[in-house]
Amino acid sequence: MKKSYTRREFLELSALAAAGAAVLPSLLMEACSSGKNTVNFFNWSRYIAPNTLPRFTQKTGIKVNYEEFSSEDAMFAKLKSGAQGYDLAVVTDYLVPKFKALGLIDEFPDGSVPNAKNIAPHFRRPPYDPSGAYALPYLWGTTGIGFNRLDLKKRPDSWHDLWNPLYAGKISMLDDARDCVATALLMLNRPEGTQDPKILDQAKQLLISQRPLVYQYSNDTYIDSLSAGNVFLAMGWSGDVLQASEENSHIDYTIPKEGSYLWVDNLCLIHNSPHKKEALELANYLLEGKVAADIANFVRYATPNAAALPHIAPSLLHDPRIYPTPTINRRLRFTAIINDETERKWNQIWMEVKAA
Amino acid sequence: MEQKRLSREKFSSWLISGAGNSPTHVLLSPALFWILFFLAIPGIFILLIGFTKLGPNESWGWVWSTENFREALNPFYLPLVIRTVSYAFLTTTICLFLGFPLAYYISQAPPQYRGILTLLLMFPFWTSVLVTIYSWLIILGREGLLNGVLMRMEIIKTPIQFLNTPFSLLLGLVYFYLPFIVLPLTASLEKIPGSLLEAASDLGARPLTRFIKITWPLARPGIFAGCLLIFIPALGDFLTAEFLGGPRTYLLGNLIENQFLASQNWPFGAALTTLLILWLSAGLYFYNNIENNRL
Repeated sequence: MKKSYTRREFLELSALAAAGAAVLPSLLMEACSSGKNTVNFFNWSRYIAPNTLPRFTQKTGIKVNYEEFSSEDAMFAKLKSGAQGYDLAVVTDYLVPKFKALGLIDEFPDGSVPNAKNIAPHFRRPPYDPSGAYALPYLWGTTGIGFNRLDLKKRPDSWHDLWNPLYAGKISMLDDARDCVATALLMLNRPEGTQDPKILDQAKQLLISQRPLVYQYSNDTYIDSLSAGNVFLAMGWSGDVLQASEENSHIDYTIPKEGSYLWVDNLCLIHNSPHKKEALELANYLLEGKVAADIANFVRYATPNAAALPHIAPSLLHDPRIYPTPTINRRLRFTAIINDETERKWNQIWMEVKAA
Repeated sequence: MEQKRLSREKFSSWLISGAGNSPTHVLLSPALFWILFFLAIPGIFILLIGFTKLGPNESWGWVWSTENFREALNPFYLPLVIRTVSYAFLTTTICLFLGFPLAYYISQAPPQYRGILTLLLMFPFWTSVLVTIYSWLIILGREGLLNGVLMRMEIIKTPIQFLNTPFSLLLGLVYFYLPFIVLPLTASLEKIPGSLLEAASDLGARPLTRFIKITWPLARPGIFAGCLLIFIPALGDFLTAEFLGGPRTYLLGNLIENQFLASQNWPFGAALTTLLILWLSAGLYFYNNIENNRL
């Protein structure tokens, strides 16, 4: 899940922060007395069911210190600069190889998480974790187009709809080098790993040509813009758009015909975790079919857990925007795993598109 | 040896009792501690990181290179710099024009009301910046308050796009920074003795002459302080631009924020920051010289 605050969440968080200040003293006491039977879990905000962790504690007696982040950039920066005290963290796919290379995460020892058998075959040994030992898929979603049905004459079905001059000033794009450059290459029908400066320049020109039409480049406020009618079309992440569609039934989501990317958030074991045993136990619990289903039903993202599917609410399971049909599935690919050099070129392109 | 001990004693007595009649220097310690640990040391780190090389997986080690500074001086970024300076300059100018009459009014108000007026001025700071920005989003949106009122009054037929334009960005910047000039200006204006203005009137000066010859020159320190308090943070602002600006108002602050977060290119971000600080300090130094020569 790549998202930051929506307005509602922000207000909720502020309320939480106020409540947090009230319980801070007791939390500090707990931190000091953090004995053996605790585990520190670092997750996206609003990315778990409310009863998941209390039930885990009830069942195992292990206390969970739960911390949330709302930006993976900030989370990466935090762990990279050596933040201590986390045992289990939810890590987005493309970050897994980076975390591995930087020695921030450890392998799950063979057989240490029996419920890993529940993971659907499609999500085993994914490109970002070819050995399948570092990352246990937790939830997944797609990148696509969110739109307001009332504002459009025709349902969008192509990435090129985001380049339609008819919608000038009513288009929102993700502010993300990976998503945007990868999508431009997809539209040009070129391989994502390409180093060919000519092709990369084409992708850059494609994105620059779109700029006059773009209302905003945003990873968070695009949902508000869509709800408020400031934009008609927004490149966005499935879960964000679908959460907004619960509040405004005219908001819809589609995966363009050229194809798109699916992304996966994973449970990872933080390097040298002082509570490794407890972390493994928590990971195993989160991968139980019923538990994974409770989480997926609550957050409305798709679960990669095959044992969870029978427990998923039928209205969600049969929604192709959450669980794409096999036809759409064939058009989806895992997030591009590119080398450092390519990534730097993508970042450079994105900077030039935005600063131009 | 004897000499040394003597000077040490002298030093400690100087430290504790202060020079002459001034208070003890120990009073400085909280501020010094603060500046050392939260300004000087991080500042040195920023400077050093700017000279390192970005390694694999966005890590950086102590491998020295001037590559980041050369990249930061790439003419490609010039339009961005000009845009940023223009917005900061415009914000400062508008705040000065809006703030001066306001500060003048507050300074001339009966003392018992001044406190309340200043308090009202500080009102927006009682809520977080993010909340005020979100309020602007609600007011300026396509189906927002402003468009709603204008359409109901039949002044306009279709909603106007206020958000994500240079207008909304300037509005947000001025809204946020206005109190920063009013406060120092009020303090300056309050100090102008009424007798000076009376004397000028007695000698036949008209209101405009009085303003140009007395009020404005005496208010200069307040104007200078207020403009600096706005211009410097406006140069580095990224939050307002992120929420209220559009693709055409990408500022230097956004570029720097992006290096530290999305691109995880700390060395380049640090180089940009260092250049911005250097360039600001140089500007301040020259301005100060000019100002001193004038007096």
